[in-house]
Amino acid sequence: MVLAAPASIAVVGGGVAGFSAVRELRRRGYAGALTLVDPAGLPYDRPPLSKAFLAGSLDRLRLQLAPEQWYEDNGITVLADTVDKLDAGNGTEAPVLALASGRDLAADVVLLATGARARRLPLPGMDLPGVFTLRSADDALALQGHLASGAHLVILGAGLVGAEVAGTARGLGAGVTLVDPAELPFAQAVGPAMAGYLQSLHAAHGTEYGRGAAAGITSDGNVLRVELADGSRLSGTAVLVAAGSEPETALAEAAGLAVDAGLLVDASGRTSHPRIFAAGDSSRRLGPDGAPGRRFEHWDAARRTGEAAAAGMLGAEPPAGTADWFWSDRYGVHLEVAGSMAVPGQTVLRGEPGSGFMVFRLDLNGALAGAAAVDGGTAVRAARKLIESGRILDPVLLQDPAVDLRRLARAKP
Amino acid sequence: MSEGIRVADVDEIDEGEALTVDAETAGTSDDIAVFHSDNGNFYALNDTCTHEDASLADGWIEGDEVECPIHSARFCLRTGEALCLPALINTKAHRVDVRDGAVWLYPNESPLNA
Ligand SMILES: Cc1cc2nc3c(=O)[nH]c(=O)nc-3n(C[C@H](O)[C@H](O)[C@H](O)COP(=O)(O)OP(=O)(O)OC[C@H]3O[C@@H](n4cnc5c(N)ncnc54)[C@H](O)[C@@H]3O)c2cc1C
Ligand code: FES
Repeated sequence: MVLAAPASIAVVGGGVAGFSAVRELRRRGYAGALTLVDPAGLPYDRPPLSKAFLAGSLDRLRLQLAPEQWYEDNGITVLADTVDKLDAGNGTEAPVLALASGRDLAADVVLLATGARARRLPLPGMDLPGVFTLRSADDALALQGHLASGAHLVILGAGLVGAEVAGTARGLGAGVTLVDPAELPFAQAVGPAMAGYLQSLHAAHGTEYGRGAAAGITSDGNVLRVELADGSRLSGTAVLVAAGSEPETALAEAAGLAVDAGLLVDASGRTSHPRIFAAGDSSRRLGPDGAPGRRFEHWDAARRTGEAAAAGMLGAEPPAGTADWFWSDRYGVHLEVAGSMAVPGQTVLRGEPGSGFMVFRLDLNGALAGAAAVDGGTAVRAARKLIESGRILDPVLLQDPAVDLRRLARAKP
Repeated sequence: MSEGIRVADVDEIDEGEALTVDAETAGTSDDIAVFHSDNGNFYALNDTCTHEDASLADGWIEGDEVECPIHSARFCLRTGEALCLPALINTKAHRVDVRDGAVWLYPNESPLNA
């Protein structure tokens, strides 16, 4: 077993999970040596990469999760480096990280917060100039140069990132064609009613939507052509492949840790190795029954699991779990979603599609399982509370826009 | 020690709700949010979230924490400590008293039992 307070901790990855972990370690009074390794150096935030940063209205400095001084004040060493190999050891000695610079870094406990990478499609033409994916600040800067007016962007994949980039590109004056194999993209995440409303925003903002699967990309001077599986063709001046993400688990796999479409961890973030923890997009939690749960790929889950791992590394109880939550911004509309919209049960609508529109998903017992809202203020926060309470709710109350959800959530059952 | 500002009658702020006292009245640089938490206590913090521009008075108030309505950063109502991302910078807590059925704010004075 690991000592309650390890003498040194190394964090691999400076996304929101890794950053939240080092912050929470210091907040909990951890006084040992703390090192964070990321090729980009100081940790930065990813959600703005498809929004304000891509639009050019948020600069690189504001993208940082904390200013340089903060690391100095908190005694955190940040290494702009890449971990090439993890020597996990047998559990008695400290694991060792081999860095790309040639240095070795040993630490009593290691947190793998390596996140995810953009999924590449197995298509001819993926590597042509003008074909992009979006995961890092450098990716966003490269794409940004292709979004001026006169440009035409073809986006393959209409999930969270694809839809957000469509909105940002339209805002910058570029033409956009969005392609997805699904009839109603995002329906699994937000439910069909909300997905239908979000889908209608594309046409309303001049984004062309086409259903189809890409089969290949070719280049013809300044024009890129995307061929779809049905033989039809689209053309544009740039292509963004926004086909979701894949967990970055290579280090862990090579070190022999348990990985199954994500690094498997318990509620404290502990992997199958006692000195190695994991958090964020690269990880997947085992449920109380020992079965792996969903791998979350959004900001709040990365923050929470980073904080939980900080507690775990110090031998403390992780904070109580909360209902899952994410947001997305496109075309000036702010979407929030809590819980799951895909469980068997009943859908309840509140208001009309547009600002303030809200959709609830009740499970078969009549308890709230999920909620999604556009421009809903604290409504989704109230819904999170109702989801956590497990209370059986009257659909008639939920669908009535005159019923204050905050009051409903606070009412003692 | 200032006189204090009479903010409202106790029953004018429901549990889970907040009022703001504007900066001019308070003599401070930011508006001040006065919270009535679901634990029955009153608290006061600078109203503007230290992350971006939201009003914490519109946030989710529970126990001794308020959660920002925009990106869900949480602040300690007693001390102003920024408890989680995306906020990094602590905010300022002010003293509030309940006296004669009214809520009194003492801008820039530390809360008595923070
Ligand atoms: C464009 C975009 C928009 C998004 N918008 C939203 C949104 O609106 N709402 C929302 O909830 N979520 C959003 N997300 C998702 C959210 O950003 C992620 O869930 C979050 O970034 C995950 O954090 P993480 O720390 O687990 O991983 P990451 O942010 O991926 O960070 C992992 C870090 O580890 C580093 N790393 C990997 N391997 C190594 C190694 N071997 N050595 C050293 N360092 C390594 C990587 O370089 C990276 O910096 C968005 C994501 C993207 C890409
Ligand atoms: S404005 Fe408060 S968390 Fe962002």
